[in-house]
Amino acid sequence: MSAIHLKNLTKTFGDFAALKTMDLEIADGEFMALLGPSGCGKSTTMNMIAGMEEPSSGKILFGERDMAGVPMGRRGVGFVFQNYAIFTHMTVRQNLAYGPRMRGAAKVEIDRRVGAIAEMLQLSPLLDRKADRLSVNILQRVAIGRSAIMEPAIFLLDEPLSNVDAAFRAVMRTELKQLQRQFRQTMVYVTHDQLEAMTMADRIAVMDHGVLQQVGTPLEVYNNPANVFVARFIGAPGMNLLKGRPAESDRGLVIDLGPLGVTPPLPDELASSVRAVRNDVLYGFRPEQVALADRGLSMPATFVERIGARTIVHLGEGESAVKAVFENDVGLSVGQTAVVAPPASSVRVFDAATGLAVRAG
Amino acid sequence: MSAVTATISEDKMGAARAKPAQRDEGERLGFRLTLPAQILVLFISAFPLLMQLYISVTDWSPLSGVGWWNAWEMWNSFANYTDLAADTRFWSALQRTAIVMLVCVPAEFLLGLALATLFADDFPGKRIFYSILLMPMMVVPAVAGYMFFMLFQSGGPVNDILSRIIGGPVTIAWLSDPNLALIAVMIADIWQWTPLMFLILLAGLVGVPEDQIKAATLLGANAWQRFTTIVLPKMKTIIIIALAIRVIENFKIFDTLYIMTGGGPGVATETISVYIYKVTTQDLIWGYVAAIALAILIVLSIVAVYAMKRMAKTREVPA
Repeated sequence: MSAIHLKNLTKTFGDFAALKTMDLEIADGEFMALLGPSGCGKSTTMNMIAGMEEPSSGKILFGERDMAGVPMGRRGVGFVFQNYAIFTHMTVRQNLAYGPRMRGAAKVEIDRRVGAIAEMLQLSPLLDRKADRLSVNILQRVAIGRSAIMEPAIFLLDEPLSNVDAAFRAVMRTELKQLQRQFRQTMVYVTHDQLEAMTMADRIAVMDHGVLQQVGTPLEVYNNPANVFVARFIGAPGMNLLKGRPAESDRGLVIDLGPLGVTPPLPDELASSVRAVRNDVLYGFRPEQVALADRGLSMPATFVERIGARTIVHLGEGESAVKAVFENDVGLSVGQTAVVAPPASSVRVFDAATGLAVRAG
Repeated sequence: MSAVTATISEDKMGAARAKPAQRDEGERLGFRLTLPAQILVLFISAFPLLMQLYISVTDWSPLSGVGWWNAWEMWNSFANYTDLAADTRFWSALQRTAIVMLVCVPAEFLLGLALATLFADDFPGKRIFYSILLMPMMVVPAVAGYMFFMLFQSGGPVNDILSRIIGGPVTIAWLSDPNLALIAVMIADIWQWTPLMFLILLAGLVGVPEDQIKAATLLGANAWQRFTTIVLPKMKTIIIIALAIRVIENFKIFDTLYIMTGGGPGVATETISVYIYKVTTQDLIWGYVAAIALAILIVLSIVAVYAMKRMAKTREVPA
């Protein structure tokens, strides 16, 4: 019932296409994150699901039911706003009771439901506090409680953690994930923060420029990005991509990276797929998977970021710049040449012309 | 170890002691430097009041042959105030002023609120209508008085339009009928001052957080429920300001009214300001005028203080 199906969903504002023919199925009870940079169409998608905006074309189905023309108050969705949109002139209790009260529920019934939801969210001691002087995690709970009291089948959350300082975000993430387990609703979570998406979501829909790029579990998206955008966007720093040309060697198929030399040979399954590509390719590997080696790509260190637990080393310049993340301070300093090699199994290859991943065959 | 702790805490206390002392010093210097300006401001605002208070307990008038500072020679031991208490013309003027206020201010508020709600959304030609709507406010009140004086003549446009609607001759004596004159005056006031109410309320209305309205919609509130549970409570402060401004201004209603009716026919439209004007210029008993003016000032001050208190209360709950 509470599965969401977006069919060819499109939204244009004048000449600007905010969302282009998006197809997405969100399963009942799933936590789906819509992830992308600002302006990628994720909030537009969310607003259309909520009914705040009408699609230019395409359909939104909740279960089997077409939502076209259903006003936002009747869709049975809970919406948590970026700044929570708590009614600051009311108490916590009045905020929680708002939905049932507007629908004319009996006073006894309202009290019972407010009591239950407050108990669940640990808001009982705060019920008679004015809502304008609450800390941000309480606000989040009130916002969720205010929607949850309507027992919506679908919960939509619009970047709820973007106003929270970094230290507190971890706490809020945990709390949010626990709440989702408690309510077991379908949740759609819009964010530009991949950490939030990776830690909380069952699946992530990565979006850019109004186009859905990839849908998959956090690890799928991280390990097997569908295209160059996802490869660069996911991960901090994103995937290293070096332009080159496939070339045969006596050890197998290698990528000729021009001035950087040739790469170690590709694994066989990948090599056969890469042979089918007639274009230049992008040789990709995660900064975290780079290891110092005797043989490999030798590049000068141009910048070293020591951030405590990890060290990020910038190698090379311009077209052939890569980043390497090491768990320990490997003792590299600027100007020194490092020989790095990504493990063959972690190498990903993309078609340079289309930007699409070349999958191992 | 304990010695170190002791030193640190002593240092801290020393620093804590030094700071307020410095602040006191700075405050005292600041006070001394601004004192001349403060005295001037105090003088400007307090002097007329004190002078008024002084004259209000005497029989002084400009024709009495002594300077106002020698008015004490004509001390009348609060006779002005006891006269005032028994002055039926004063009390009926006060009552009339109250009636005008109780009709005009709510009418202006409701019309202004309705218009503000309309203008909060976009519609074609909004900017033109907006400009037209604000125009009455820009008209010099005396000119507005003259306009309505003409409109409400028995052969004037108002009767003309009414006669076209009814289809028979209409000769209502708007400004010379004691009952209708007050209505005509109130219509003029509403015409002129609804725009101000509209302007203030519109500013308040667009300040209502849109996401809270959306949140209410998502929770199933209909338009009327959103208006009463979110919009109005959020506008409380601005509504109090708007009402306070109009109550105070309306209490002093004079120019438009005076040109339309001169307070007549008889005393049918004689409000407090008109009454004071007549007593001042016709009867020339300035001591008495001062007493009336002080009494009104007290009434208006009570209104203002009440409004400010309500505002302070709502400010604890910022939007």
